[in-house]
Amino acid sequence: MSSYFRKNYVLLITLSVIAALFVAAAQGMEKKDFVITLLRGLSVGSLTFLVASGFSLIFGLLDVLNLAHGTLFMIGAYIGWTVFVRPDTFVDLLTPLALILSGFALGDVYPLLATRIRLGLSVKRILPWALVLVSILIFGFILPRYPISIWDVENYGQSPVTYSFMADQGTRLLAPVAAFTEISAPLALIGLLLASIIGAFGLSLFNSVTQQQFKLNWKNYAGFAILLLVALLTFIFNESLTASLTGLSSNWLFVIAVLVATLSGAGLGALIESTLIRPLYIRPIYQLMLTLGMSAIGIEIVRAIWGRPEFVMPKPVFFNGSGGVCPATNFADWWANNCSTILLLDGRVRVYNEIFIPIVGLVVLISIWMLLQRTRLGMVIRAGVQDREMVEALGINVRRVFTMVFALGVGLAALGGILAAPSMGLSNAMGESLFLNALIALAIGGLTNYPGAALGSVLVGLIQQFIIKYGQIGIAIPFTDIIFKPTPPLVPASTVLLMVIILLILPNGLLGKKE
Amino acid sequence: MEYILDVQNIHTFIGQYHILQGVDVRVPKGSITALLGRNGAGKTTTLKSIIGLTPPREGKVIYEGKEVQDMRSFDIASKGIGFVPEHRAIFRDLTVEENLKIAERVKGDYLRKKEFIFDLFPDLKRLMALSGTALSGGQQQMLAIARALVADNHLLLIDEPSEGLAPVIIEHMMKAIRLLSKDSTIVLVEQNFLVASQLAEYYVIIEEGRSVQAGSMKDLANDKAAIHRYLGAA
Repeated sequence: MSSYFRKNYVLLITLSVIAALFVAAAQGMEKKDFVITLLRGLSVGSLTFLVASGFSLIFGLLDVLNLAHGTLFMIGAYIGWTVFVRPDTFVDLLTPLALILSGFALGDVYPLLATRIRLGLSVKRILPWALVLVSILIFGFILPRYPISIWDVENYGQSPVTYSFMADQGTRLLAPVAAFTEISAPLALIGLLLASIIGAFGLSLFNSVTQQQFKLNWKNYAGFAILLLVALLTFIFNESLTASLTGLSSNWLFVIAVLVATLSGAGLGALIESTLIRPLYIRPIYQLMLTLGMSAIGIEIVRAIWGRPEFVMPKPVFFNGSGGVCPATNFADWWANNCSTILLLDGRVRVYNEIFIPIVGLVVLISIWMLLQRTRLGMVIRAGVQDREMVEALGINVRRVFTMVFALGVGLAALGGILAAPSMGLSNAMGESLFLNALIALAIGGLTNYPGAALGSVLVGLIQQFIIKYGQIGIAIPFTDIIFKPTPPLVPASTVLLMVIILLILPNGLLGKKE
Repeated sequence: MEYILDVQNIHTFIGQYHILQGVDVRVPKGSITALLGRNGAGKTTTLKSIIGLTPPREGKVIYEGKEVQDMRSFDIASKGIGFVPEHRAIFRDLTVEENLKIAERVKGDYLRKKEFIFDLFPDLKRLMALSGTALSGGQQQMLAIARALVADNHLLLIDEPSEGLAPVIIEHMMKAIRLLSKDSTIVLVEQNFLVASQLAEYYVIIEEGRSVQAGSMKDLANDKAAIHRYLGAA
């Protein structure tokens, strides 16, 4: 025990100073203010953690600094919003999306197909480009003509802002059902399927590494078959599916929105890793530029689809009660009335923002910890963070683990996004500020250390919220009459300051290991 | 003679550096073959090229009759090659037991091989719950070899097993390697000529990225000129 103190005395002193500051901060404000500020800090900390933990897992194992992580957080929010507020659009999108992805699900088949084709060298060089071009042309022809009942960013009456507002008022507006007018349905479906297969085959040809000859079995076709089935079923049962989703209570719809956003995030992550990041593992600088570019492109895509104005996603009714009985005075009371706020130690606390989000953060923290510590995948990840080559030399396909971890990381960010949508609101900039928070949190906690990510995120969240609160009530400077009120620009500055101080004392962050 | 591994004229680049410029290694089945040579001659790179960590740009690596030089590392390893790298590469964040478990290629490998491994290295048994960092150099070397034994490997590539170890522990390690050679073929990179000459039946000398001489260890022991010229040992 004493050796532990000797080894870690700097860390222990730092932590006690932080704790002392925290206690001092608590003394300066009323109890109810303290409770609210503490919970808000935990809420911001949880969202930060969801972004930071995914980023740190990816960086630890893959050595990829995914600068698009904040953008993917934002995309998660917008996807979730779409499912929640416009289930009809979501259902309309399922068919084409499943078809577009189906070709990529055949990834294991293409190398074998490629070895069967005997071509001249010059044809072989042109073929991948030609295939991708053909695929893009077909997509370009079909997709703009494919009918999807969607909002209209240009028209305020049918913009996301209006739909969001109306949904919050309790009336869910749906746009008129779109129909196949410019293109015939079978042509559109078959065209998308073909374009997807051609495109995926073309892309696979760019990867010149010869693969091992292996026998194909049903597993190699399972993903393709499932996607095809999804496409067909959602096409046939489009209307009844939409009707049942809109008829659902907003609680269940919210659960579906969270699941869809998280899974789409994970899928997007897997797609990005396997197509864009993978060829660049030997060129880290290009990789950095790629993720930076993806981030900018992602923001522009979101602006083009959902528009620039900010809007707030309505909360599910489970957290949105109001009226004479609210705010709830205790949890039993809250459970009965589902008030949006609850009184804790005289403070009015918003249940969704300040209780639900931290709980989800805690659940994710524990589940990922269990995944890392108790499963074989976790073992491989922990080993791979240290020495990828050795893991590979043991006969483990590290590349597949890379894809899984990238998917997991982006999935966590997307989960953060959809959770933030009802509390922070949706905006084009929501990703950037949180991503900056996450980077600071990781620098504080230790870049590739999982508990460090959690600790850093909570510290960042708490400091920000306490500074905001003290900006309202002011800090009395001892032995003077001066009351110092931190201005809003000090909020981001304070976290950066904390980061600088901690990095000066502990260059690897609070829990980071020496390299 | 039947060769389990036949490396033919491989050329390996690391970055822009042409590290291996024509290495041939033939390993008879069931033997211990030592790769000898000075520091930086390319012995470690040869092992890494066999297992695909630094894939050769030219030449062939034939393992059990199949060309493997274009396969990815995990595929090559899965064919039954165990790799014990220089500096051991023990996973620090994993316990000793996890360091063994991670090497499973088929579920249950570890349980099947546990007893054999602990008979060979009894020390490891009481260290099971410790993390990889808590081990001494000798214990790490034992663990690194043990890790290569968990899966069913027919060929073991062992890099510098005696490096940095006390003489008593080197004795122990040599005994273990000799025992292992009963069931599997071993390719050994060894700086310590005394250790290599006692263990190996065959040798290949690598000098500036080329294999310059090969044969049986007995002949080399009498060839003082070659030893002096290539290995700098008396």
